[in-house]
Amino acid sequence: MTRIEKGLAVVAFVLWSAMLVAVGYAGHMLLAPAEARTVYVQSGSALPLLDEAWGHVRAHFIGTVPSNTLRDYGAIRGALATLNDPYTTFIEPQPRAIERDHMRGQFGGIGVSFRQNERGEFVLTPAPDGPAAKAGVREGDVLFSVDGYVLPPAADFEVMARVRGPVGTPVTIEVLRGPDRQRLRFTIVRQLIEIHTVTWRTITSTVGTHPFVVGYLKISSFTDRTGAEVQRAVAHLMEAGAQAYMIDLRDNGGGALSAAIEATSAFLKDGVVAFEIRRSQPNIEHRVRSMSVRVGEDQPIAVLVNANTASAAEVMAAALRDHQRAQLVGEKTFGKGSVQLIFELSDGSAVRVTAAKWLTPARHALDGAGLVPDVEVKGSPAEQEARAMEILRSAAAKHMSMR
Amino acid sequence: MQTSSVKNQTKQIIALGILGAFIGALVFILGIAIGVAFARPGGLLDAGASPFAVSPSIAANPVAINDTAAEQGRQPSLNYALINDVLRRLRTQWYGEMPSSAQLTDGAIKGMVAALGDEFTQYIEPRFAKLLNEDISGVFEGIGATLRQTPAGGVQIVRTFPGSPAERGGILPGDIIEAVNGVSTQGLNSIEVAALVRGPRGSEVTLTLRRAGRTRPFDVTLVRERIEIPLVSSKMVGDGSIAYVSLFDFSQPASRQLEKHLKELLDKRPSALILDLRDNPGGLLSQAQEVGDIFLKQGVLVIERDYRGNKKVTRTTDRGIAQDIPMVVLVNGGSASAAEIVAGAMQDRGRAVLIGERTFGKGSVQSPQTLSNGGQLRITIERWYTPNDRAIHGTGITPDYIVNSAPEDLKEGKDPQLEAAIAFLTTGKTPPPTPIPTVEPARR
Repeated sequence: MTRIEKGLAVVAFVLWSAMLVAVGYAGHMLLAPAEARTVYVQSGSALPLLDEAWGHVRAHFIGTVPSNTLRDYGAIRGALATLNDPYTTFIEPQPRAIERDHMRGQFGGIGVSFRQNERGEFVLTPAPDGPAAKAGVREGDVLFSVDGYVLPPAADFEVMARVRGPVGTPVTIEVLRGPDRQRLRFTIVRQLIEIHTVTWRTITSTVGTHPFVVGYLKISSFTDRTGAEVQRAVAHLMEAGAQAYMIDLRDNGGGALSAAIEATSAFLKDGVVAFEIRRSQPNIEHRVRSMSVRVGEDQPIAVLVNANTASAAEVMAAALRDHQRAQLVGEKTFGKGSVQLIFELSDGSAVRVTAAKWLTPARHALDGAGLVPDVEVKGSPAEQEARAMEILRSAAAKHMSMR
Repeated sequence: MQTSSVKNQTKQIIALGILGAFIGALVFILGIAIGVAFARPGGLLDAGASPFAVSPSIAANPVAINDTAAEQGRQPSLNYALINDVLRRLRTQWYGEMPSSAQLTDGAIKGMVAALGDEFTQYIEPRFAKLLNEDISGVFEGIGATLRQTPAGGVQIVRTFPGSPAERGGILPGDIIEAVNGVSTQGLNSIEVAALVRGPRGSEVTLTLRRAGRTRPFDVTLVRERIEIPLVSSKMVGDGSIAYVSLFDFSQPASRQLEKHLKELLDKRPSALILDLRDNPGGLLSQAQEVGDIFLKQGVLVIERDYRGNKKVTRTTDRGIAQDIPMVVLVNGGSASAAEIVAGAMQDRGRAVLIGERTFGKGSVQSPQTLSNGGQLRITIERWYTPNDRAIHGTGITPDYIVNSAPEDLKEGKDPQLEAAIAFLTTGKTPPPTPIPTVEPARR
């Protein structure tokens, strides 16, 4: 090779190497998750501000410094607090697990409910015929340990999360029973436990000389299974000859919007259930879905609401009223018309982000305002029900006389 | 020759090629390594978008502790992947307007600090830290009120000074400050709110206040003044035989003013002395020592323990002008910090009988650290203990005789705690129990 050729080879080699470095670098970028692709290129000696602040705390604080996890959660909570939005919140892994179970309407568990006594202990109530009851757990047993983990004095959500787990897996609990606090051990296989959100019954009276059957339907919250539960309840009530419906949404704090739409669709033939307004998107129309069971349009409906009726429950109440399908009876509702999206994070925690506002079909904002009932009854729950009955009976009477 | 030369050249090229490929592979890996190195946690988003971008310099450290930088280097960094994941969701999904990166960072630092569970370790945002630094001249121009953080996170008026703009403007202790000049106090701590309230004399400040019993917040506009706080008031009480002296705080001239008043009182040959430290929020430790010197002989005033477990004992000297006169110290829930040191030492050393209510329980020292963004971190670095090694922090000092005082008493011009002190010093007994005030010996 001539000197020139050698020189060229060296230059080519250097260029080629540089290119490879670049390709390698790009390769890394492709491997990295999307948000990491914009690479921060600055002197590596400087420290991020949060680390700087925490460094001072670690070096000088006289008390006990919390774990890194609690520090990170604190930082996230603090950042979210600057939004001034009470509904944009951070949820730690265990409360999130409980919440997720609730939203799904089912989980792997042993069929016990928890109650804390004045000593802060967890007192168990086994569900009749549930796995715990069958294993021998009794009402009043105090939970002592879960899979060898002895409950600390100030136990919380953690306890519920520990008892729950995948269906088919065993969990060993120890309980303290009776005045001598005898310690007993049970190993119980977790089964599918369903959270029921809908209860129903018929209320029979008369209108004039005619018998009058009202289908009463209470929805306690909106989980992924609520739509199906409402369908089944309405089917039963129709079969029982219901001529009118009383939907009880009192103390229903909301839940999944899709469940509220499905529940509404059992009572509404067509139309918009709610509008969803996002910051940077065209309005989303949530319309009535086609359902196998639907209440007839000539059957009067009363919806019971109170100050704890919120969010998805307000969507359902407002939709039925705006379409002139129902009268609202009770108290002014809570007024929460914002939509939160839940994002699960890598460590099982989650962030709930207010992503949209709801408008009723008549384009009324729900947020902060609440729904004023057509018939305001501030009395006892029984008085509200009695008033709803009156309304349904007079509506039925009108209908019957028109016939 | 020709062929062999070509063959050789081919061999050379192949060899070079293999070598090149090998080196190339190494360099490629190096490239990935560099990529990974640069994208270390903490710099995930680009500098403009990330609120947690790397700051250009390490903080100046006002306290003479040099291990900070080294410890920062060793400690595991925050989980920026998790934090940035949250921020990314917010940026794409949140309905409202995103706060600035600086605001999010300030919030995150406050959140981290809140995880410590110590209300006195506080972060001061750069905009307020700047105001505090300007205030260092000592000229205190404001409205003449003291503020406190409530457990719920609001900032509350603790008291207003007689004749101050705050008092003349009808501001009452217990009022919650919702906004200052229209700036919401949401998320701000008491030091930050105080920085907003202060300003040049003659200028106006409008407070939006929430008051118990009023449904809506209301505005009060005040003109700032140079506040000259009288630190001491004194009088003769009882039948004119008992000296009474009240100390309002432990700022610089406290001991000097107190000594001046005491000299005048002692000239009247009183049989006993009442030192009123109620609602005294404390101040300088040096002043606590000088005030302690007035009443106490040689001995321990306070024990300080710092974050390294070091113990430091502050002693009183034997040069006071009121070391032997029988004494009662009045305390209540507003007696804090330096006031608790003095009261605690007098109680432990049998110098005075304490009457009133349990004290606030603020027995800690904060050291300010300036961060590279200009914000200030006030970290609790020491805790105080009484000479008998009782913790002041959190528990407070329980008086020897608990005498409560209801807000109505003040309005009616009554002072059951002072009355109890006078009764104790004249008869050796506190007054018999009445429904209000309640009198009972304290359980220690």
